[in-house]
This record gives sequence, C-alpha cells and structure tokens, in this order.
Amino acid sequence: MLEMLHRYGPDLLTGFGLTLLTWVLGTVGGLVLGFFLEMARRFGPRFWIGWPIRAYVEFIRGTPFLVQLFVLYYGGPLIGLRLDALPAGVLGLSLYGAAYFTEILRAGFDAVPKGQIEAARAIGLPGRTIVWRIMLPVMMVSALPALVNFAIILTKETVILSMITVPEIMFQTQTMMSETFAFVLPILILALFFWGFVEVISRFGRRLERRFTHYLLEES
Amino acid sequence: MFSFQTIVENLPTLLGAARYTLLISVLGCAQGLILGALLCAAALSKRTALRRAAGLYVSFFRGVPLLIQLLVAYYLLPVVGINVPPLAAAVLTVGLCAAAYLSEVLRGSINAIPKGQAEAALAIGMSPGDLWVRVLLPQALKIGLPAIVNELILLVKASSLVTVVGIVEITRMSQSIASSTYRYLEIYLAAAFLYLAINLVIAAAGRLLERRLTV
Amino acid sequence: MTLRLSLKSALFGLSALTLTASGALADQLSDIKAAGKIVAATEMHYAPFDMLEKGEYVGFDRDLFDEIAKELGVTPEYQDLPWTSILPGLEVSKFDFVLAPVTMTAERAERYAFTLPISDSTVAFVQRTGGDMTAPEDAKGKTVGVQKGTAQQAQLEAYGEKIGGIKIKEYGTPDEAYADLMTGRLDAVAGSAPLLDYLAKTRPEQFSVVKPPFGKPTYFAWVARKGEGDTLVAAINEALIKIQDDGRMAALQEKWFGAATELPQEMPEL
Repeated sequence: MLEMLHRYGPDLLTGFGLTLLTWVLGTVGGLVLGFFLEMARRFGPRFWIGWPIRAYVEFIRGTPFLVQLFVLYYGGPLIGLRLDALPAGVLGLSLYGAAYFTEILRAGFDAVPKGQIEAARAIGLPGRTIVWRIMLPVMMVSALPALVNFAIILTKETVILSMITVPEIMFQTQTMMSETFAFVLPILILALFFWGFVEVISRFGRRLERRFTHYLLEES
Repeated sequence: MFSFQTIVENLPTLLGAARYTLLISVLGCAQGLILGALLCAAALSKRTALRRAAGLYVSFFRGVPLLIQLLVAYYLLPVVGINVPPLAAAVLTVGLCAAAYLSEVLRGSINAIPKGQAEAALAIGMSPGDLWVRVLLPQALKIGLPAIVNELILLVKASSLVTVVGIVEITRMSQSIASSTYRYLEIYLAAAFLYLAINLVIAAAGRLLERRLTV
Repeated sequence: MTLRLSLKSALFGLSALTLTASGALADQLSDIKAAGKIVAATEMHYAPFDMLEKGEYVGFDRDLFDEIAKELGVTPEYQDLPWTSILPGLEVSKFDFVLAPVTMTAERAERYAFTLPISDSTVAFVQRTGGDMTAPEDAKGKTVGVQKGTAQQAQLEAYGEKIGGIKIKEYGTPDEAYADLMTGRLDAVAGSAPLLDYLAKTRPEQFSVVKPPFGKPTYFAWVARKGEGDTLVAAINEALIKIQDDGRMAALQEKWFGAATELPQEMPEL
C-alpha cells in the first residue's frame, strides 16, 4: 500500500490537479459563454440569434455529455477541429456548462422585478446603466444558488473526461489499477475522496451564496 | 465528406441498442421511485438516526460521480458476495443513484401538501402506513411529476455510462460502429440525435400526462 | 442474453442477487460443463481478434473459441466490456474467462492462469501511409499513441528510453489511437503486429506498418482465474493443440491475419 502510494502518489496528485484545472476552466468558460449567449438572446434579434441558441440549449441538455465529448474529440477533426484531449475536454465542459448556465441566467433576468426597471427608466437612467447597474446585480443574486449548484454538478462531470484520455484523477486511478492489479481498494478510495471533495465544495458554495444574498434574507 | 449513408445503414443497429438505454433508464427510475419514497419517509421521520442515515445516503450518491459508482458496484459488490449479471448491476446502480435525487423531489412535493391532510387522516384513525401510501405519495407523485420526468431524462443521458459494466446500449454501440466504419462524426452525431429524440418524446409525454392529471 | 430474459432478471436489480460460490477447491471446468455454457468476456473493438459487425460479434477469437467450445461440449456466451474492466471483472467472477488477447508477461502470469499462446504479439509501429519512418528507430522525438495499461505500453516506454525519447500518449482503445493517427494528432501508434498488419491490410491507403517489429518476441494468450480455473485452462490447451494439429488453426489464421504461423505448443519462457 505504502509502496503503491510512493510509486503512484505523484501521478495521482497531478491527476487531481488536472481535475481541479478542468473544472475551474470549464466552469469559468461555461459561465462566460453562457452569459454571452443570454445577453445575445435577450438583446439581439429574436429570429437570427434566439432560435439557434434555443436549439443549441436543447441539443446540449438532451444528449449525454459523454456523447458530446465523442462528437467533439473524434468527430471534430473531420470538420477541421483538431484538439488534444485536454483542450477538447475543457472546451466540451464549457460548451456543456454554457447551455445550463445560460438557462439559469435567463431565469435570473426574468426574476428581476419589472417595477425596478420601470422606476429606473422613470428617473431617466440610460439603458446601458439599467442593464449593468440594476438588472445584472439583482439577477446575479437570484441566480446564484442555481449557478453554484450547477458548478458543483460540473465537478462530477470532469471524471467523464477520462474517457477521452484526459489524464485526470479517474484516468490516473485506472492506470494504477491496471498496472498493479489492485482494483477494489483504489476505486473505493476514489469514491470516498470524491464524496469528501464535493461536500467541501458544496459547503464553500453555500457560504458564498449566503454572503451575497444575506441582505435579502434579512429583509424577508 | 459527411456521409449520411453511414448513418442510414447503421440506424437499425443503433435503434436496437436503444432498447437497453430505455430499459435501464425506465427500470432505474422505477427502482429510484420506490427506494426514493422509503428514503423520503426516513428523511421526514421523527427518529434522528433514520434522518441521519437518509441524509448520508443522499449525500453519498449525489456527491460521487455515477461513473465511479458504477465501477464500485462492479468491482466491490462481488467481493462482499453479491454478484449480479451486468444488466441487473447497471439497473441497480442507476436506481440507487436515482433514489437519492428522487427522494429529494418527493420530499419537496410532500412539504407542499397542506399539513391539515395528514392531521385529518391520522385523526380519522388512518395508520401512518396508509397515510403514506394512500394520501401523501399519490399527491407527491402528481406534484413532483415534472421533476420526475426531468429525472427520467437525466437517467437516459446517464445510462450512457453503463458501458463500463458491459452493457451495449446506444453509446457503446456507436463506439463499436464508429471504430469499424471510422465514421466518428456521423455515428456520434446520430447517437446524439437519437438521445435527443428519446428525451423530446419523454418530455412531451410528461407534459401530456401532467395536463391529464390536472384536468 | 435476450432482452426478454434479461428484463425479468433485471427487474429492480435486487431480485436477481445471486451469491457467488466460494471455496478454494472449486473446479471451474466441471461447473461450466454442468451449466452447459461458458461466459467469456472481451473488448469487441480489437480487430481482427474481436469486433462488432452490424451489431454481431466476429473475429479470430470468436471463430477459434467457437471451435474450442465445441470441443468442450458447452455453449459459449460472449460479453463486451471495456478493457479496463476486463481483468478486474475476471477477478471478481463477473464471467468465467477472458477471451481478449492478453499479452503474456511474467507479472500477469503470477496473478492469472494463461492458456497456450493463441497468436504472436510482438510490438511494432504503424504510421500514416507516406509517413517518414523507415525503421523503428525513427520514432525518436515523435508522438506515439498506445493503449493504456497494456504490455505494449511498457515495451514502448522501455524502447523510448533506449533510443532517446518518444512522446507517448495513452488511449483507452487502439481504435482511438488509430483515429488520432489518421487526424494527425499522432505520428505513429505502437501495437501488436497482427493488429497492425490487419489494419494496414484493410486500409492500405491510410496506414502502413513500420518493419521490423521493435519489441522483444511476445505472445497473446487468454486468461482464467488462478487455482479455480486451472482445470478449465488445461482443457482449453488440449483443445488448442488439437485444433492446431488438424489444420483448423492455420485456416483461421489465413482467414483473419492473411498468413498461417506456427505457435508454441508449450508454455513459452516469460
């Protein structure tokens, strides 16, 4: 056991590092792309932008992430998109996250009280100021719990990247298992490890949520 | 060149594999509902130990990626003397995982039922068991229907991971076809649209059922 | 497994629990003969040994094992599993026998019961047709793909150190590596000669094998559990020798590899 840790410890650590990296990059990428999609949908022409985005969201939400990754990684080269496993994994995670994030942001925008926008207009604030200073902050507060929740779901999706050979924690564990013929213990430890990891992230996420929404709670 | 021919030729094989996708998601969802109802009863119980146990269960199955759960079930269960055939292992694991999510759905729905109903049922001498089976669960299923349909859709997608325990469903079959035809883009896109079609049908059926139940 | 049968057994999963037979002195051969069937697992993405054509399992392994099952007087049942799940699955008795071609190594022989060799498996490189490699040494500094967790990977790593550096990329299945070779993500793929020969034979405009093989001579064999599976392995070996002696093996080799080769009828040195 100790010998195994000595031999595979560094690989497992870099694997976990990649898990964290793909998660952070995928979440940030998904949020940024999701935000742009929502802004385009909300303020752009309905037919030329609204419908393609709707179709995109339906496609991503209606198909397994694993199949999306296969399309991107193995199918991509046919249309000239030749990516290594890691960038393909991060891009796949971002494209996947964007579809969900954009829907969460849409619900957040829809939840901004109409009265606040009308009031801002009535006192003569320019449209841009209304969007950036009123709609966005209010929207973020109501969307935050769902955003945090989905970011947590994304941590679990990162293990699927192992199936297109991104050497993250799952991939490293499997390599170790096939080289040492020890199968039961590593997978069990990985399960417990992920459980703890996701618990820590959820606690942290809930604290973040409270920090940004506490004034709402005090009001109610 | 994009080859539609490849898709047309292999569609029947993919459709055949889709039976397993459907079988696993539907049976997994059914098992998840039954187990989820028990978990939900435990979570709402007055006994602290039961509530704790239910909480631990939900946290574990929601915290560990399904891919890892499947491998744990595959490698670990036989070691403790439980050896099930691949299809049963897949349904069992998917169902155990679904139960964690569905128990939360049911709990939310039961909380939405007016408290007075339970009190009235107990007041007229109904047993707690009858209260659950006759009063609370039917209403919870109805209130939670949209979320349950949503869970079924999630399961259809999650079933793509059961390839690791040896089930040849849509994803595994598309891998096989792609590797023998070398038509990766076409086959994986066909698989994706097949999932999409299944999920759109489930969503439409769910809405129809919802309308029926509310009229 | 038909859908209807399995549906019944899968209903809610729980009802189908069966306890594994334990006991150190179990004799798998008589168990299998009593059951009248043998469940063999392989990854059906390993042409020409194992592949799926229009949803049906075909290949050298399938044809050979059909013959062996006939000799044993049992019905074979084939299961498709990703390679990473196969050896663990065997250990925990998910099936009776590994039909995937497993490279014979000393470490594996300590852990599993190997049958006699079923094919040569010496490692070679394949490149895109028209590629610039003329000998295996040209792999120096190139990016080479290999299936992860395989004996070929270990040999490739050793060879890379010997010739002064190869960038190695690991893959789940050889198909994925071939796909990346085709798309240009890789310069070459390392794999066992029979697989690469088959690949180059079926798709000569895309792939060509770099001759000669670079690895030390190795063999593929099938695998059973140690102890419990010893009687099974002995029976299969006996059938293998019979099939070699009456010429059926040569016919199958012609059919799937394009040429017949002699195989050792005794356990090779590992």
